[in-house]
Amino acid sequence: MCSYGSETGVSRALNTPHPVRVRWGEGLPAEVDGEPVQALRESWLVEDRWWEAQPLRRRYWELTGERGRNLVVFHDLCTGRWYAQGA
Amino acid sequence: MAGGAGGVPYVELHCHSAYSFLDGVSLPQELAQRAGELGHVALALTDHNSVSGSMELAQTAAESGIRAIHGAEIDLTPDPESEGEGARDAAPVGFRRTDNPHVTLLVEDERGWRNLCRILTIAHSHTREGTARRELGEPQISPQDVAAHAEGLICLTGCAERSVLGEKGGPETLGALLDGFGPERLYAELQRPYARHDRARNRAFAARARRLGIRTVATGDVHAHSPSRAELQDAFVALRHRLTLDASEPLRRGNRSHVMSAPRAMASRFADHPEAVAETLRLAERLRFDLTKDLGYRYPGAEEQDASRRLAELCAQRLAERYGPDAPPRARAARGEAQARLEEELKVIDRLGLAGFFLLHHEMLELAREVAVEVRGPDSVRALLAPGRGRGSSVSSLVCYLTGLSHIDPIENGLTLGRFLHEDLHGLPDIDLDFPRDIRERLIPRVHERFGYDRAALVAAFPTFRVRGAVRELGKVLGLPPGEIERIARGADPWSPAGEHGEVDFASGRGGQDPAGGASDRRSERWRWLGRLVEEAQGLPRHLSQHSGGMIIATRPLIDCCPVVPAAMEGRQMVQWDKDSCADAGFLKIDLLGLGMLSAVERCVEEIHRGTGERIDLSRIPYDDPETFRAIRAADTVGVFQIESRAQMQSLLRTRPRNLEDLTIQVAIVRPGPIQGGAINPYIKRRQRLREAREGGFDYEIPYDHPSLEPVLKETLGTIIFQDQVMQVAEAFAGYAPGEADGLRRAMSRKRSAEMMERHRERFVEGAMSHSGASAEVAERVWNMVAGFAGFGFPKAHSAAFGLLAYQSTWLRVHHGPEFLCALLNEQPMGFYAPDSLVHEAENRGIAVLGLDVNASQVGCTVQNGAVRLGLGYIKGAAETEIAGLVAERERAGRYASIAEVAARSGCRRATLEALAWSGACDALLKKSHPPADRRSALWQLGIAAPAVTLEDEAGRERPAQQLALPLELPATPALRKLGRWQKLIADYSTSGVTIGDHAMAVLRERITAPKLATSAQLARLPSGCEVSVAGLVIARQRPGTANGTMFLLFEDEFGTVNLIVPREAYERRRHLARAEPLLLARGRLERHQEGARRVRWGVRDVEAPVREADGEEVRPVINVLVAELEPLERFLDGALAGEGEESVVRTLRPGQDEAAGAEVGSTMRAVAPPIQSFASGRRR
Repeated sequence: MCSYGSETGVSRALNTPHPVRVRWGEGLPAEVDGEPVQALRESWLVEDRWWEAQPLRRRYWELTGERGRNLVVFHDLCTGRWYAQGA
Repeated sequence: MAGGAGGVPYVELHCHSAYSFLDGVSLPQELAQRAGELGHVALALTDHNSVSGSMELAQTAAESGIRAIHGAEIDLTPDPESEGEGARDAAPVGFRRTDNPHVTLLVEDERGWRNLCRILTIAHSHTREGTARRELGEPQISPQDVAAHAEGLICLTGCAERSVLGEKGGPETLGALLDGFGPERLYAELQRPYARHDRARNRAFAARARRLGIRTVATGDVHAHSPSRAELQDAFVALRHRLTLDASEPLRRGNRSHVMSAPRAMASRFADHPEAVAETLRLAERLRFDLTKDLGYRYPGAEEQDASRRLAELCAQRLAERYGPDAPPRARAARGEAQARLEEELKVIDRLGLAGFFLLHHEMLELAREVAVEVRGPDSVRALLAPGRGRGSSVSSLVCYLTGLSHIDPIENGLTLGRFLHEDLHGLPDIDLDFPRDIRERLIPRVHERFGYDRAALVAAFPTFRVRGAVRELGKVLGLPPGEIERIARGADPWSPAGEHGEVDFASGRGGQDPAGGASDRRSERWRWLGRLVEEAQGLPRHLSQHSGGMIIATRPLIDCCPVVPAAMEGRQMVQWDKDSCADAGFLKIDLLGLGMLSAVERCVEEIHRGTGERIDLSRIPYDDPETFRAIRAADTVGVFQIESRAQMQSLLRTRPRNLEDLTIQVAIVRPGPIQGGAINPYIKRRQRLREAREGGFDYEIPYDHPSLEPVLKETLGTIIFQDQVMQVAEAFAGYAPGEADGLRRAMSRKRSAEMMERHRERFVEGAMSHSGASAEVAERVWNMVAGFAGFGFPKAHSAAFGLLAYQSTWLRVHHGPEFLCALLNEQPMGFYAPDSLVHEAENRGIAVLGLDVNASQVGCTVQNGAVRLGLGYIKGAAETEIAGLVAERERAGRYASIAEVAARSGCRRATLEALAWSGACDALLKKSHPPADRRSALWQLGIAAPAVTLEDEAGRERPAQQLALPLELPATPALRKLGRWQKLIADYSTSGVTIGDHAMAVLRERITAPKLATSAQLARLPSGCEVSVAGLVIARQRPGTANGTMFLLFEDEFGTVNLIVPREAYERRRHLARAEPLLLARGRLERHQEGARRVRWGVRDVEAPVREADGEEVRPVINVLVAELEPLERFLDGALAGEGEESVVRTLRPGQDEAAGAEVGSTMRAVAPPIQSFASGRRR
């Protein structure tokens, strides 16, 4: 099982990932929450904390959206879900 | 995209193996094999500042279907203008700095290899400077020095994080590299580790490359051959930085992109940089250097024109001495034969071009002779002994005898030249030289001096991860509690062969009902990972170390062939290759080995001379002494060389050696190879049949699996016992070419590859059928013998020399028992048994052993009037200088008359004085007192006589606070309770580790209430199969990997020893007892083995009749107890030992120690334990 941060804790972590809808294109996301992707800036991979009960396995994408926004989304490789994380 | 060889789109040019030490988790062989599987055509190995894995890659690449490319990733000195400079100075000494710029160097041709070796030598030259030579410094080299050696090398700009194109580099560095390598041979290295800023960085590097006019090339920075090792790499990164995994996140790669990928996957990883991908192919085409080709190494004398003449002259001169008019009559008579034999040998040597080789060895021994005179002093009786001796089949050669390599006269002993020298000898014969330890220490630096520092170096060795160390280091990295880690590390089988599955799981409480199991977090993820990481780390090299004594000597600078780096010990240096790689490179390795038994034998000869004036020349003792062989056949061999172990003794009773040839086989037989290859039982059975046939006067034919095996396996009766026989069988039976057979040896002796062995199996079986016309079944059977052997055995040469020393030491033991025991006690640690066991065994043989005595003991043990007197050096924790001072004072000003005098005159610290009193060394001073006093009184008196306060100097060390030498009159000792027998044992073990007189079992015996209890002496008279209980002190524990989990224990009681076989189930049930408890009771069944035993009717019972040989010698049976259950002996004691009382005395003397050993409060059972031999700490021979 993969997951992240505490959702019920008293303190709230900044930059907590939140679920997004991603439409997959040719080798990279084509649309994030309805916003078409204009360009790929970076893509990286995090496979870490394997020694813990909930390891991290994420493929990150840093994209430029149609509206010029910088979008950072990741694909949780354990659950198959997409999240956005800050910018 | 340019389709290269076979359409493969990419070649990996940047790859780390485990020889990058904690930055790479796969062996070169694993990388090569995986690369082949993934469809790579070539692979470059570029370890950090090292080519230690290069030869292994070169040798295994072809069988994996790839081509090896060689290189290294080098640390450069920081650029003065780089941004990393500030942080560098803050790095603590010994840490691998994280910010030196890197370049990747790849070898194009022979000149390039030479230059790479020189670059690496320079980079390491300063790594042992400074105060802590043992602390390895950081290898690094200036870019200018690299540029000066650019010829024949390709330079890539280094890995992503430390590229000279990035912030770690600087204009000066880059400028120097461009000057040296030029735009043709300097490449911008692009990597894609899937980190956040990869793409931006690669775009920047590519742009920079365009401006500089250099090409880009893609590399993968591989650190693991398979995904299953990926996690270990993270753990190694943390370990290297001495951090936990949790704390080392910024240093990790953060993903698994460092695992080797297929060429196509790599090409698509660099989809943005197709030109950099295509360049890998073009570059790989350029890098054609083949490390398996001749490196130009020559040993001194190899090409000397008149070597043959010089050798002939030398031998002729020596022959005139040894067999001339002044020689003993027998030698004189053999002169003609010797002359003919010499001519024959010299002819062969000349034809093989080996005259220089023998001269070199001779020169080495002459050097050793000079050193020996310095070490031993000119008049020592040791001067009679050669300073060293050749191991191996060289003992059969007359030339070796004459040049001093061997000290056995081959003519007199009827030794034939055999396989040592023959016309179709490939390569160099194997000669190892053994020296007493003290001589060897001085000889090694002398060899460096004699042959030149650039032409002589030691061979490297790579200590590998073993269970205990791996548990400790990886447990720490995982952030597990230190106490728990330590408990598990100790609980893990230290000699467990290969991360034996479940070892860690068990110890951490998940593999069975470990009584100590507990804390819930043991079941957590981290503990699970510990087990897995330990298993993956097994057998990987941990760091670079030096081989015990292998030396490489060359005619031209060695650094042209292999990098030379400083070793941890002053005045020593080593090549970056281990013995296998050196052998592959064709280097002549001369082993200068220190052998504890040689030292012991010399001590013994000296002690005999000191006591009796007799001068013994071990090379002239009779080699057929019936008494000596009788002792060997009766396994009366405790303390002698090689054939003293539990397993050897049991085997001796069955093989019953009768001469030196038998001993040669005997030494080799108890090894994993013959055991796993199933050689032992057939060999023993066939020997027995032969014996019976001889006595009964009929014929017995050895059942060879195939007639072609007879010539190669004749001397070992159709079984494979020597390592050389594996290759001989492959050649004779399966038609292997010599080189091919060597490949088989390699496949078996290194970390075994199942696939490689499978390939050999097919080749072997097919070869056997076509070459020898063997049936498939026979071919498979012989293959199983070969594969089972797996290279874990002695070469015959080695066994021959060891067998000889085994004989010589037994001869000394038989004819000079006290002196031999004395020598062994003084040469510890060595051999199979602890001093305590050696002493008890000697006492049982009737040798008198006397205890410590301040007025009679020397520093070392000595023989006094036929008895062995223990030396005061055995007092634990006492400084050698203190003890030497005590003895010197006695010799200067006479005996100590009282405890007060010892305190006043000896100059010992209070702690030492107390240990002396408690050990019994002052007992003699108290004898005359009234009322009779013992150690307790001695301690009490010391309490007054010795200074009460100990002083500490600034560093917190205890300073010897000396009592002024005043004639102190001590007040009368109050009446103290008498020292009990049990308390005396505790006192002995806690001070000297050796007890004399009462055995622990003698003290306990009458209190043990257990049914069917038998002593070791009674066992011999009990019938096979009967139920028994035995109790004893554990003196050896073994759990060999070849025994399927069975543990062997050796019990000692007041009469002798008992062999116990603890089957896996019994062991698993009582693992903690079997591993840690010194006093045990075992219940089980008596097993008696005896070839040719017959049962006879005796009264109303069937008994086994004593077996006798033709000459009337009784054959001793092999007796074991097959254990059903192990119990703590304490449980069977009637009446508590506490009756002896006064534990407080022990506790005040050894604060904390009992707790550390885990003793239960109120029990002193664990205090009575000699330090038993442990195979983990690597007791030396």
